[in-house]
Amino acid sequence: MDPQPEPVSYICGDCGAENTLKPGDVIQCRECGYRILYKKRTRRIVQYEAR
Amino acid sequence: MGAEDDPSASLKTLAAPVKSAVDKFQLLPAFLKVRGLVKQHIDSFNYFINHDIKKIMKANDRLVCRYDPDLCLRYTNIYVEEPSVDMDFSVEKLTPHLCRLSDRTYAAPIKVDIEYTKGNQANKKPEIKRGLVIGRLPIMLRSCRCVLSGKDEAELAKLGECPLDPGGYFIVKGTEKVILIQEQLSKNRIIIDTDSKGRVTASVTSSTHETKSKTVFFIDKDKIYLQLNQFIKPIPIMVIMRAMGMESDQEIVQMVGRDPRYGTLLLPSLQECASERIYTQQQALEYLDGKVGSANSARSGNRKEGLARAILLDVFLANVPVNQGNFRPKCIYASVMLRRMMDAILNADTFDDKDYVGNKRLELSGQLISLLFEDLFKSMNSFALELLNRAYEHASRSSPLDFVHYIKQDYITNGLEKSIATGNWDVKRFKMHRKGVSQVLSRLSFIGALGSMTRISPQFEKTRKVSGPRALQPSQWGMLCPCDTPEGEACGLTKNLALMTHVTTDEEEGPLISLCHSLGVQDLALLSAEELHAPGSFLVIFNGLILGKHRQPQRFANAMRKLRRSGKIGEFVSIFVNEKQHCVYVASDGGRVCRPLVIADKGISRIKEHHMKELRDGVRSFDDFLRDGLVEYLDVNEENNALIALYEYENDKDDSEKEKDDVKRSSITHIEIEPFTILGVCAGLIPYPHHNQSPRNTYQCAMGKQAMGNIGYNQLSRADTLLYLLVYPQRPLLTTKTIELVGYDKLGGGQNATVAVMSYSGYDIEDAIVMNKSSLDRGFGRCIAMKKYTVVKETYSNGTSDAIVRSNKEKVGSNMQILDDDGIAAPGEIVRNHDVLVNKFTPRNTRDRVSRDIDYKEAPSKYKGPEGETTVIDRVILSSDTNDKLSIKFIVRHTRRPEVGDKFSSRHGQKGVCGTIVQQEDFPFSERGICPDLIMNPHGFPSRMTIGKMIELLGGKAGVSCGRFHYGSAFGEPSGHADKVEDISYTLVKHGFSYSGKDFIYSGITGYPLQAYIFMGPIYYQKLKHMVLDKMHARAKGPRVMLTRQPTEGRSRDGGLRLGEMERDCLIAYGASMMIFERLMLSSDPYQVQVCRQCGLLGYYNHKLKAAFCSMCKNGDNISTMKLPYACKLLFQELQSMNVVPRLKLTEA
Repeated sequence: MDPQPEPVSYICGDCGAENTLKPGDVIQCRECGYRILYKKRTRRIVQYEAR
Repeated sequence: MGAEDDPSASLKTLAAPVKSAVDKFQLLPAFLKVRGLVKQHIDSFNYFINHDIKKIMKANDRLVCRYDPDLCLRYTNIYVEEPSVDMDFSVEKLTPHLCRLSDRTYAAPIKVDIEYTKGNQANKKPEIKRGLVIGRLPIMLRSCRCVLSGKDEAELAKLGECPLDPGGYFIVKGTEKVILIQEQLSKNRIIIDTDSKGRVTASVTSSTHETKSKTVFFIDKDKIYLQLNQFIKPIPIMVIMRAMGMESDQEIVQMVGRDPRYGTLLLPSLQECASERIYTQQQALEYLDGKVGSANSARSGNRKEGLARAILLDVFLANVPVNQGNFRPKCIYASVMLRRMMDAILNADTFDDKDYVGNKRLELSGQLISLLFEDLFKSMNSFALELLNRAYEHASRSSPLDFVHYIKQDYITNGLEKSIATGNWDVKRFKMHRKGVSQVLSRLSFIGALGSMTRISPQFEKTRKVSGPRALQPSQWGMLCPCDTPEGEACGLTKNLALMTHVTTDEEEGPLISLCHSLGVQDLALLSAEELHAPGSFLVIFNGLILGKHRQPQRFANAMRKLRRSGKIGEFVSIFVNEKQHCVYVASDGGRVCRPLVIADKGISRIKEHHMKELRDGVRSFDDFLRDGLVEYLDVNEENNALIALYEYENDKDDSEKEKDDVKRSSITHIEIEPFTILGVCAGLIPYPHHNQSPRNTYQCAMGKQAMGNIGYNQLSRADTLLYLLVYPQRPLLTTKTIELVGYDKLGGGQNATVAVMSYSGYDIEDAIVMNKSSLDRGFGRCIAMKKYTVVKETYSNGTSDAIVRSNKEKVGSNMQILDDDGIAAPGEIVRNHDVLVNKFTPRNTRDRVSRDIDYKEAPSKYKGPEGETTVIDRVILSSDTNDKLSIKFIVRHTRRPEVGDKFSSRHGQKGVCGTIVQQEDFPFSERGICPDLIMNPHGFPSRMTIGKMIELLGGKAGVSCGRFHYGSAFGEPSGHADKVEDISYTLVKHGFSYSGKDFIYSGITGYPLQAYIFMGPIYYQKLKHMVLDKMHARAKGPRVMLTRQPTEGRSRDGGLRLGEMERDCLIAYGASMMIFERLMLSSDPYQVQVCRQCGLLGYYNHKLKAAFCSMCKNGDNISTMKLPYACKLLFQELQSMNVVPRLKLTEA
């Protein structure tokens, strides 16, 4: 496995701060201590079909 | 002062007709504001937390070591804190939404204060410890310990909670669980009934904190017997009386009553007792000792003497207290039971009706949890004591014995959690094994969630083929909804509460009893047997216990009621004078259903216009109405003493009208608040339900729970396993008052569709509907299905754990395209079937300890969804679960537009599937250019008789044209909560429509006008959760079951479609033998076998020697090869394993 280019950041469910996580980290916001994190939306361009 | 001085007086106000009745409707929102829709659940739970838990603790507050009485523990206080959880050595407060998202239990610590002594210590002064946690109690949402209680909308929104959510449920391991209301026959009451053999019985189910027992008296061959589980045989009743010290026959007869008819009925029983030669208490007790069952004698060490006396004291009529061995109250109670039995024999009217709602009690979540808690608390204590005793036996102790070490928190925490999560209530102490007590709160629609909060689960098994309990009971008027019940096996057994129903909780008995005495109730102990049933005086029975008698029952009842209305005693205490039984029943026990009514004095409502004005101005609340004695709660029994008018003005009509009803105005005691409150939440959504055929309303009640719409304001931040949402939900054009009260106008479950009632194309037969394609393009019936996929990063016992790794996406055509740099799919990506959500690897070795290099194997979590559909990842939630494992939740969103086969329904039990979708160009249109959204076949009306739907169409049409929501509340026409057809027609005509709601329509295909006028207008349509996409299924080849090698079963396993027995019968009858052969063998499980013609058993084919061989005959001479279903070969082998030899006999074919 090649080294990770840049760590992925996650958004806290309470305060909205960005957090980076390494494998084995506790899932917790560094700012407020909230224990639910959300993944950020993809940066890729997506095209949806609107029927 | 004249009218001129009044500034508000004008010609208009003065000329307006004097309003005959006060509009009491405003009371209803006030009532619901105070009580809420699920107040009964919350009240019951609050009672448990605040009172019951303390009572349980007090009953079991002392633990004493077996070997050293000085070593003891005493509980001094118990209390429940706010919900919190211990995480990483710190206490964190919990919110319900956090629990839902991270699969936790919304539970609060139960703390106790204790005094205890330590072993091996010089000073015997007890130590005091405060705030010892003994376990965690799941907390009901919106109860007094919940963080949501007393919060306003903004605060609720901040906590991620929907303000319209009623609460009243629990969150256990992230799933919302409701404890259903359980229906039961009332405890501690005499019930006169006939048993299966047709014998008259009087039974009492006694229930006290100490014991629960059932005492049954029955008449067999004119003689009366007692049946009690502790006695192996029925006991003659007179023996029991003798054993309780009633040695004189005369006194017994006096106690039952002087009427010679009673004497005649008692005579055979008296004779039987005499023939057994039992005359004294001693003889009777000796006789009873011989009849005690073996289970009891084993308990007290095979000593049978005195056992009968103990049983009479503790088990026989356990609800009647015995003071210092004085059996008198029990004698009187038994004699009253006897008297009621004799009454039933002499006059069949006096039988009790088990289905009568007044004879029922509803067990709510508080009581059910209290049962569990009591059992667990006792178990925890005895377990702690056992551990302590065992530790005491070990001679050498390094540390002093400490009670606190032996109190295990997990006992109560796990016990409560497990029971609520599974719904299995197993309380061995009370021999209680109930399943399905709790259910997952259905979040299909807002109404579905509300509906499951008001549901009452039945006491009987569903299999009973009796009509009595299923029938509509007149006594359930206003208490239980007459419409809302499921179809099929649970029909009529599962019920729902009506809108205004309240279920009582227990009330303190002591003050009420002493109040009764001070109001002139003569104590039982002071009465002789003769005086007991003296004419003119009534027995006063308090919660099933005979207190004494009163000479002026009506005056007593009036005094009690006056005290209740002035708030001196609890508002839910009921006083019921039973003229037939010469009894006054006072009840303060929990579980009775009751409802508020307006008090009327001689038919004139106590609520006047100024009261209502104060209510509108917000200076008066519902509780003030209660306190001022304007409104009171009546339970089902007390309703029998009331004469309740529907409307106040009904009374001051002409005299001729009065004569017809045979009701004098002055005799009316109460007035209904609103008649539509006899319906429940689900039935309240139906407009004009009183114009529909009754079963249609019942169908709608079931369907409203399946309708898609909004779940709550927090629906998009929730993480439900499956969530259906409507894209553009609307508020119904034709509303009811109930809709506004429950918030259905804010969280709707459908859309207003313009419906043309006509035939079109032939794709509309059998309730199918034709839909307008352009309407679908505009968003009609479009829904979102959100599905949750959870992936857990597992950790194993040897310290290894799964790895989530970034993938090399460069591979073209790979199913890992949507993965992010962290190996987890990102929100916003489009997922297709078999796409990888998480690139996970699991270690190959999860058992033994491994060195640094862990050997992994691929274990990607793949998305499984409908083929060909594109779904989008909505959210990805990372959290750690209770075992500190990383859990990744994907919420996948799929937007669906209606397609042929999707199910729709109006609010009148008229369901139908979409038959075809037609271009708007081909759709009929009116002169104004109005084009319907859907076309419904008129054949749906004549047999269903849903007139309400027609009025809804009219009212909706009028509403659209005049810009006002019209109302269709049940029975609302007299009080103005439902618009009359006549008024609607006026509005229609005013806006240029026909009064009948029919329009002049052009055909969309030919352009010519249609031959008939078409009934067209808006009707509220619900989209139901049954959609073709989730159901369609076909397969050619596919997976097979390992054991039988036949195709698998069910859509989820990509199974085959079964050619069943009946289909097979058809093929046999037709003679299509090759077809049967093909279906049942070739397409299923063909198998080639070697059969030995000699012995008829199966041989085998040796591939090395290229020869078949029979292992029985030890040769390969007579082997034939043939085809057989694999299941048949399996059967032969299974039979052989059971020592049955099936032999095949082959003939030439």
